[in-house]
Amino acid sequence: MGSWQARPEQQQQQQQQQEQERWHYEELAHKSGFSTEQIKNLHKRFRQLSGNKETISRANLDSIPALANNPLKKQIIDAFFDKRNQWQDDEVGSLEEIGLEHFLMVMSHFRPPAHKSGEEERQAARRQKLRFLFNMHDTDGDGIITLAEYRKVVEELLSKSGAIGHQTAKAIADAAMLEVASINAPHMAPDDFYEGITFEHFQQILKGLEMESRMHIRFLDVDTTTMRCGKAPS
Amino acid sequence: MELFFNPFDSLVCILLGISFTVWFTLLLVFIIVPAIFGVSFGIRRLYMKSLLKVFEWATLRMERGAKENNHPLYKPYSNAIIAKHPTSLEEEIKEIRRSGSNRDLDSAPEFEMSDIFYFARRGVESIMDDEVTKRFSAEELESWNLLTRSNYNFHYISLRLTVLWGLGLLIRYGILLPLRVTLAFTGVGLLVFLTSFIGLLPNGRMKSILSEKVHLMCNRICVRALTAIITYHDSENKPKNGGICVANHTSPIDVIILASDGCYAMVGQIHGGLMGIIQRSMVKACPHIWFERSEVKDRHLVANRLSDHAQDKSKLPILIFPEGTCINNTSVMMFKKGSFEIGGTVYPVAIKYDPRFGDAFWNSSKFGMVNYLLRMMSSWAIVCSVWYLPPMSREEGEDAVQFANRVKAAIARQGGLVDLLWDGGLKRGKVKDTFKEEQQKLYSKMLVGTQEDRSRS
Repeated sequence: MGSWQARPEQQQQQQQQQEQERWHYEELAHKSGFSTEQIKNLHKRFRQLSGNKETISRANLDSIPALANNPLKKQIIDAFFDKRNQWQDDEVGSLEEIGLEHFLMVMSHFRPPAHKSGEEERQAARRQKLRFLFNMHDTDGDGIITLAEYRKVVEELLSKSGAIGHQTAKAIADAAMLEVASINAPHMAPDDFYEGITFEHFQQILKGLEMESRMHIRFLDVDTTTMRCGKAPS
Repeated sequence: MELFFNPFDSLVCILLGISFTVWFTLLLVFIIVPAIFGVSFGIRRLYMKSLLKVFEWATLRMERGAKENNHPLYKPYSNAIIAKHPTSLEEEIKEIRRSGSNRDLDSAPEFEMSDIFYFARRGVESIMDDEVTKRFSAEELESWNLLTRSNYNFHYISLRLTVLWGLGLLIRYGILLPLRVTLAFTGVGLLVFLTSFIGLLPNGRMKSILSEKVHLMCNRICVRALTAIITYHDSENKPKNGGICVANHTSPIDVIILASDGCYAMVGQIHGGLMGIIQRSMVKACPHIWFERSEVKDRHLVANRLSDHAQDKSKLPILIFPEGTCINNTSVMMFKKGSFEIGGTVYPVAIKYDPRFGDAFWNSSKFGMVNYLLRMMSSWAIVCSVWYLPPMSREEGEDAVQFANRVKAAIARQGGLVDLLWDGGLKRGKVKDTFKEEQQKLYSKMLVGTQEDRSRS
C-alpha cells in the first residue's frame, strides 16, 4: 500500500501535466466553441479511435463498425481530412492524418446554435453548415459542383444496393441538376452549358430548410456543479 | 439510591430538552421557513458541490491505489458523449423535406438535396459514439458508484474504500435519514391538516389562493425532505389554466418535483391507507380528479371527466403521465391515447435525473412504495432538471396517436437520455435497429416504391 504519500516529484509532474492539459483544452474550447468538459469527452473518444496515438488516419475511421452501413461513408471520412473544413477559407487539399484540433474543428460544424445567439451568429453558423455539405459534394475543390460530381454522390446513395439501377440513379441525378439549374439560371438558352452549382446557388436552393436542428448533434454536458436549487435565471 | 440518580437524571433531561429545541429551531429556520416562502439559502447546492469534490478526491485516490496494485477495474456505467435521435430513416427524411420545401406534402417523396443531411449527421454520430467501441472505453471507477449510490451489491475492493463506504452509510442512515423522515412527516401532516381546514371555507377566490399556497408549501417541504436539487428551465412555458400538462415518468417523485413549482390538478386512482387520506384531504381544497377503482376501467367515463375539467378555463392544468401514473399503477393503455384525445393545449414537460447521484427509477415489481421511498431518502441527493417545453396542440388531420408521438419526440429530444417507454400499445411496430439494415436499400426502396405508385396513378 503506502500510497497515501505520493512521491513529491511525481506529484509535481502530474500537476504540471494537468495544468498544461487544462490550458490546452481552454484554447481548444475557445477555438471550437465546445465546453471544456465536452472536449475532455471528445478527447477520450479521439484516443479510442486513434489507438492512443496523437493522430487519426483514414484507416482508423474506416474501421468503425457503425459507419459501415452509411452510404456516405467515404464522403464523411473525406470530410474529416478536408482542409476546407478547418474554418480557414483559403486552404484546399486534404491532410493525411488529423490531430485533436482538426478533429474538433470538424465536429464543431455539428454543434447546435448557442441558446441565445443573435441573428448574425445564426446566419454564420448556418452558412458554415451549408459549406460543410457543399464541400462534401465538391470533391475537386474548385468551388463548383458539376454534374459529374453530383451524379457521383447520388450514385453512392442509391445505386450500389441494386434496387435502383445505374441508369435510374443517373436519371435522378440529371433531373435534380436540371431543377437546380432552372431555379438558379432560369433564362438559359437550351444550348447554354450550365457549369455547375456554386455555393451561392447551393445556399439558394436550401434557403427555406430549417437545418439548425437537422444538422446538429446533441453533445451532452451534464455539469451538475452549475445547477442550482430553485429557478434558473432566464 | 434515588437521591443519587435524581440530579443525573434531570441533567440528562435538560440536555435532551436543549438538543431537541436546538434541532427543531434549526430545522424550522433553515428548511421549513424557506419552504414556506419559496426562497433558498443555497445550502443544498453547497452540499452537492462539496459531495462531488469529496467523491472525486476519493475516487482519484482509489484509482491511483488500484493502478499501483494492478487491481482490475471495470466500469459498468460510462458517460455517453452525444444523445442520439431515436427516429427512423423515413420519419427523419420526411421531416427534413417538410421543413425545406413548400410543396404539397402528399406528393411522392423524390430525391432531394436535403436528404443528404440525414446521412451526414448519422455518419458523424457514428464516428463520435458507437455501441461497440463504447463497451471497451475508458474505465470509470466502481468505487464512484459505491460511494454515490446506496447499492446493495457491495464487494470488497480495498480497505480504504470500505472505510469510506461505512462512513457514508453511517452519515446517510444515521443523520440524513432521520432528518428527512422528520421533514417528510411534517410536510405530509401539514398538507393533510391545512387542506382539510381550507376545505371548510366557502368556494371562492380566497379558497383557491390559499389552497395554492398550501400545496406549494407542503410540496417544497417534501422536496427538501428528499434533498432534491432541481433546476427549472424555460419557466416562461409553464402550463396555464385549462391546459394539460404531460410529462415523462420515471419515479413517483416526479409529482412532487413538478408540483413544487406550480399548481396542478392531479389525476389518479383512490387508494386506501395513508395515501387515501392524503388524497381525500387534498381534494377538499382543490379539485383534483380521483377515480374509484371501478371507474378506472371505464375509458369513456375517464375521458369525459378529464375533458370536463380541461374545458373549464378557471381550473388548474391537469397533470398526466401518459405512461401510466405511478400513484395508481393502472395499465398503461388507459391514459395513453386518452390524454391526447381530450383536446385543449398540451404542455409537455421533460424531467431528467442526473444518474451520478443515484438511481431514481422505481422498479415496482421489486420494491414497494415504502421501500422505494426509504431508498430515496437514504441516498445522498436527487439531482434533476425540468424543462418546460412550448405548448402544442393537435393539428388538422392528425390523429391522437400521431399527436402523442409528436409530443413524445419533443420530450425525448429535450430530455436527451431519458428512454421513453411509450410504445407499448401503438399499432405501428417500432422499427427495430434500422441501422442494421442496409441504409441504401431502405432509402432507395422508399424512392422506387413511390415512383411506382406515381406511374400507377
